Amino acid sequence: MSAADDQRAILVEDLVRTYPGGLRAVDGVNLEVAPGEIYGFLGPNGAGKSTTVRILTTLLRPTSGRAWVAGHDVVAEAGAARRVIGVALQEAALDPLMTGRELLRLQGALHGLRRAQASERGDDLLERVELVDAADRRVGTYSGGMRRRLDLALALVQRPRVLFLDEPTTGLDPASRAALWREVRALNADGTTVFLTTQYLEEAEQLAERVGIIDRGRIVAEGTPDELKARVGEPALHVDLVDPAEAERARELLAAHGECSHRRGGGLIVRMSGARAIAPVVRTLDEAGIEVDTVEVETPTLDDVFLAVTGHAATDDPAPEPSLSA
Amino acid sequence: MSSLAYAAGLSAAMWRRSLNEVVRVRGALLPTTVAPIIFLLGTAGQFGRLSDLHGFPTTSYLAWILPLSCLQGAGFAGGAAGANLARDIEQGWFDRLLTSPAPRALLLAGPVLAAMTRALVPTTVILSVGLVMGAGLSGGLAGVIALYVAAVWFCMIAALWGSTLALRARTQQVGPLIQNGVFLAVFLSTAYTPLPLLQGWLATFAKYNPVTYVLEMARQATVAGIPPSWAHTWPGLVALSGMTVLFGALALRQLRRVNL
Repeated sequence: MSAADDQRAILVEDLVRTYPGGLRAVDGVNLEVAPGEIYGFLGPNGAGKSTTVRILTTLLRPTSGRAWVAGHDVVAEAGAARRVIGVALQEAALDPLMTGRELLRLQGALHGLRRAQASERGDDLLERVELVDAADRRVGTYSGGMRRRLDLALALVQRPRVLFLDEPTTGLDPASRAALWREVRALNADGTTVFLTTQYLEEAEQLAERVGIIDRGRIVAEGTPDELKARVGEPALHVDLVDPAEAERARELLAAHGECSHRRGGGLIVRMSGARAIAPVVRTLDEAGIEVDTVEVETPTLDDVFLAVTGHAATDDPAPEPSLSA
Repeated sequence: MSSLAYAAGLSAAMWRRSLNEVVRVRGALLPTTVAPIIFLLGTAGQFGRLSDLHGFPTTSYLAWILPLSCLQGAGFAGGAAGANLARDIEQGWFDRLLTSPAPRALLLAGPVLAAMTRALVPTTVILSVGLVMGAGLSGGLAGVIALYVAAVWFCMIAALWGSTLALRARTQQVGPLIQNGVFLAVFLSTAYTPLPLLQGWLATFAKYNPVTYVLEMARQATVAGIPPSWAHTWPGLVALSGMTVLFGALALRQLRRVNL
C-alpha cells in the first residue's frame, strides 16, 4: 500500500466473497472512505452489506481482492487493524448476565486497558450514552434502545479511528433512533470515521456525507446524497387547480417551464429543467386567470435513486445473505 | 502494559465472565452434578457385587465407581463450556471478542479456566456423597490430590474438545454431540471393571483409551488396591498431557479457521 493510500480511512479493491455453495455475496466491491467521513453503505437485506463489513472488521476473509482499514491490510495485518476499529454489529450481541459496567470493563480488558483505566473509560462512556442509572443492572433487563447505546459505547472503549456500525438503528423506535443519530454525529465531529450500513434511506440521507448503494454484491451507485438524487432528475412541481377543467389549458401554458403532465385528481406535474423557481409558474397561471389551489415541490429521494439504479425498492429482499454463523 | 500482564488481566476478566454462568444462573450446576450422582447411586446399587470377582482391586464397588462419577461430573462441566461457546458464537457475542486485538488463544483461556473452576463443584459434591454412602479415602491426602488433578485436568480436555466442536459447528445444536463424546470416552474405558476382566473389543479399546489411565490416577483416592504411587500416577499424567496437546491443537486450529 502506498503512502498516498495511507491517507484513506478505508480502501477496498475488487473485493469478492463467495460462500460455500457458490453464492457470491460480495462481487467486486471497490470503495474509498476519507478520514473523518461518514460513509453510508446502503442496500436491502442480502445485498452484501454485512458480508463487506465482516471482511473489513476481520471477521471474514475475502475470497479475493484486498481491503485496508486505517492503512492496515485486514488479512495480512488483521491484529493491527483490530486495534484501530470499533465495531457494533447488526445484532447487539451482549451478555444478558452481565451489567453494562461489567461489559465495558471486559471490553477494556480485551483492548489492553488497565483495570483502573477501563473503569474510568467505562464510566465516561456510560455518561455519554446516558446509561449511568442502568450501569449496574443486568443487560438482560435493558430495552432495545439501551442495548444499542451500550453496544455503541462498547465500540468506543478503545477510541477507534474507524467505527463500523452495521444497521445500528434497525428495530429501534423513532426517539431511540434520533438519539443514536445524534451520538453518531457527535462522534464524527470528534474526528471518528464512521462506516454505516443501513437499509433505511432516511438514515443514510441524515447521516452520511457520501453514500454507496450496494445491490447483489456490487456497488451500483456512489456519491453524496445530493449528487445521487440529481442523477434521478430535477425537482417536480405538483400544482392543484381550483377548477380542474382548466388543467389542459394550464398544461399548454406551463410547457414553457418544463415537461408538464396531468396528475390524478385534475392537477399537473411540472418537471422543471434548470430553473427551479415556483414563482414563474404561479405567475403564468395567474396571468392566464387560472386559479391555483396548492403548489408543492417534490425533490427526488434516495428511494427514487435506489429504484432507478437497482430496478427495485430498497425494502425488497432479492436474495438472503447467508447466515454469518454458518 | 506487558504482554504477560495483558494476558493475565484478560484471562481473569474472561474467567469472571464465564463463571457468571454458574453464579448468576440458578441451578446451572445441577445437570453436571445430579446426573453423575444418580449414576453413582444406580450403578453402585445394581453392580455392587461385581467387586467380589477375582481381580478387582477393592472389595467396595462404590469405591471403584466413585472416581468415575467425579470424572464424569468434571467432564460434563468441561463439555458445558463448549456448549456455551457454541451459544456465544450463534448469538454473536464471540464476534465481539474476535474483533478485539486479543490473541486468539486467550479468548479460549478464560472459559476453559472457568470450566476447570466449575469442575471443583461436581467433583466435591459427588465425592462427598460417595463418602457419606460409605466409600473410604484409602489413598489419604495424596489420593485425593490425584483425584482432583485428574478431574480438573480432564475437565479442561473436555472443554477443549467442546470448544473444537463449537468452533466447527457454530451452533448450539452441537451440545449433545459434545457431551456424548465425553460420555463415550469415559465409558469405553475401565469404567465398570478393571482391564483384566474386560473382554473382546472393549478390552482392546479400553487398553488404548487414555481415559483408562486417568481413571487409574483418580482411583488412588478410594481404591485400596491402587495406593498412591508414581506408578499409578505417571500414566495418567502422560494421558492427560497427550490429550491436552491433541485437543488444544485442534481447538486452536479451529479458532484460526473461524474467519474462513
